[in-house]
Amino acid sequence: MLRGFHPLPKLALCLAWIVASLIVFRLSFQVGLFVAATLLLLLDARVPPRRVLLLMVPFALFGFGFLTTSVLFRAESGFALQMAREQGAAPDVAPGLVLFFRVLACGMVSAVFALTTDPGQFVRALMQHLRLPAPLGFALMQSMHLVPDLRAEMLQLRMARAIRLGRPLRRVPAPGEAFALAIPLLAYAIRRATRAALSFEARGLQPGRARTHLPQPPIRRRDWVLLGVGGGVLALVLAVLPPGFA
Amino acid sequence: MTPARPVPDALVYDRVSLRHDGAAADAVGPVSLALREGERVLLLGPSGAGKSTLLLAATGLFPRSIPGACTGGIVLRGHPVTSRTPAEWADTCGFLFQDAAQTLAGFTVRDEISFGPENRCIAAARIPDLVAEAMRQAGIPQIWADRRISTLSGGERQSVALAALLAQGAPITLADEPAASLAPKAARRMADLLLAPGRTTMVVEHRPGPILDHIDRCVALGRDGRVLAEGAPHEVMARDGAALAEAGIALPLATRIHLDLPDLIDPRLPLRDALLRVPPAQARRLHDAVLPAPIPAGEILTTLDGADCAPAFGPVVLRDVSLTLRAGEVVAILGPNGAGKSTLAACLAGLLPPRAGRRTGAPGAVAFQNPEAHFSQESVRAEIAGLCHAPGRVAQIFDRWTLGEVAHQHPFTLSQGQKRRLSLALLAEADRWPVLILDEPTAGLDRAAETVLGRRIRALAREGRALAVITHDMDFALSVADRAVLVHRGAVQFDGPCPALMRDAARLSLAGLEPPEAAPVLNWLAATC
Repeated sequence: MLRGFHPLPKLALCLAWIVASLIVFRLSFQVGLFVAATLLLLLDARVPPRRVLLLMVPFALFGFGFLTTSVLFRAESGFALQMAREQGAAPDVAPGLVLFFRVLACGMVSAVFALTTDPGQFVRALMQHLRLPAPLGFALMQSMHLVPDLRAEMLQLRMARAIRLGRPLRRVPAPGEAFALAIPLLAYAIRRATRAALSFEARGLQPGRARTHLPQPPIRRRDWVLLGVGGGVLALVLAVLPPGFA
Repeated sequence: MTPARPVPDALVYDRVSLRHDGAAADAVGPVSLALREGERVLLLGPSGAGKSTLLLAATGLFPRSIPGACTGGIVLRGHPVTSRTPAEWADTCGFLFQDAAQTLAGFTVRDEISFGPENRCIAAARIPDLVAEAMRQAGIPQIWADRRISTLSGGERQSVALAALLAQGAPITLADEPAASLAPKAARRMADLLLAPGRTTMVVEHRPGPILDHIDRCVALGRDGRVLAEGAPHEVMARDGAALAEAGIALPLATRIHLDLPDLIDPRLPLRDALLRVPPAQARRLHDAVLPAPIPAGEILTTLDGADCAPAFGPVVLRDVSLTLRAGEVVAILGPNGAGKSTLAACLAGLLPPRAGRRTGAPGAVAFQNPEAHFSQESVRAEIAGLCHAPGRVAQIFDRWTLGEVAHQHPFTLSQGQKRRLSLALLAEADRWPVLILDEPTAGLDRAAETVLGRRIRALAREGRALAVITHDMDFALSVADRAVLVHRGAVQFDGPCPALMRDAARLSLAGLEPPEAAPVLNWLAATC
């Protein structure tokens, strides 16, 4: 369902929930948001559970320090205590746990947006509605091509290196190999960006020059309804939360 | 009555010389040539003659965006090129670049094709129709409109680039080896569209044979970057064939055979007609001119047995492949764009293990499509020195691969053809690999380099190595390979003698391929012998 919505209202809604997550210092709110976002990923975006778990890893690692300090050592880091104090946390709450689930909740809300939005359509919506300069927009699209192409380039470089050194191709590059690949990959990215810029210019793209836009799906009534419902739920949640948050 | 004003030429180069920043000599020039309205000009020249630079200068991309110096005058439709920016000239002049994979702008096929019309401020409501029409003309299925560019193969991206050029609607087209990475059928479609009668097009192409009938005029640049020959294509080939061959420029097969066997083939006649005059007793000479001398096959060096081949992070693209490579054998691996030929190469070399089945035998080396992947040193000399051969052999390698003049240069600053020669030299001259697989080795090579490469491939086979050559150049395949493997629809469709496949037009057509220029010779030989 979420895939069918216009990227901009969806972005606004996700940002609103992320901002709420950043200002509400309550464990129940963070856990609830985390669970809701995860369910949306599983049930609406149909992301396989294994992938959702993998998505959580970097966010969990980021918040893991707070969690271990809070749960295992029954102590709180200075940063967590300061955050709790500044945001008016309830006295019974473990600040480390709140921060841990905050990171997860924000991460999962971001994942909901990223995995239910067509990146090209999003960039086009930014250019069309929010006046993102076209050279910047197409540079963003180029960088999205670059990621898979860099992976393919890296594999080819690794194979060429294995041939040169007469060694079998390792499944995962050793640290020395990764270091040796960094400069050729950077050179590849620079050369490619140069060629792309040349092609853009040859095909008429120039900063500040007027251009039209391929018609995109408009922001429809259902998008406004999504924004209204999502914003209303957030307002309701904030209203019914007991005092103790900023 | 006022006389009608003469129509200015579409593009005029007047004593133009171009020099890259930091270079000691001009890349091209002084050159004077004109492209008339409605004319289709083929720009020929050896690798490194400055053809691409000359095209880029047409709208001022060189020296405005690519640092360098330009002397002389360039006039586009009656206006000095410097009167507008390169981006502003996009309404007059459209480019088709050599490597579309690296120059596409959009995220999806639709984005890409609409890029030019958007930049020209075409009314938004008209753009979808323009996109659909361009896709139809370029033979791209409409259901591809939402496909991401990153999911397309190299050849498919080139077709999308062609559609984008058509949608851009510029009256003049400059194309730099547009068909270099395309399978023959797709290449023919591109030639039919780019070089349709009435279009104003200047095209750089290393292999003129397949497009010569679409061309009004040929301009050939010599190694010194100056015009060597100019005129109607068949006139130039007949009159200046020897000079062009001397300069390393590829010639149509009939001209080549005529130069080799002047008493047998009349270059003024179409090949089929010329063959009618060849006495059957001369069949052996003709056979030797188009087919390689046989080499006795030795022991099996590498075997794929029921292998499922897949790229490192992707799904299986070829199933149940069973192949052997023998010492002394050259095998051509043929197939349409995206058929999985490069993946098969990596599996044959043992770089990617098959997902099912097994591979046995000696390790192999692959010369990748992107030659830069093989470079690791700061100069060509250092790359060759890394092979650890005696000084005499090193000098021989420079000479054999025509790399002596660029020995001091960084490998990344070489022309595409020079890079290709260096990467092939690095693998072919290393004595480590009993199995060598060359992935599109002729892309970017001029005729002289291609001839050298063909000879080296056969010499390496005679030394007891097994070679596989992935190529879309059917004539090159025929000239070097004993055996051909046709890959299509996820499986091996043919594995047998190369001439037999080249004469099987129906089978080739099913796989999006076309018979080689030499097919009439093969048919004549089959009928005569």
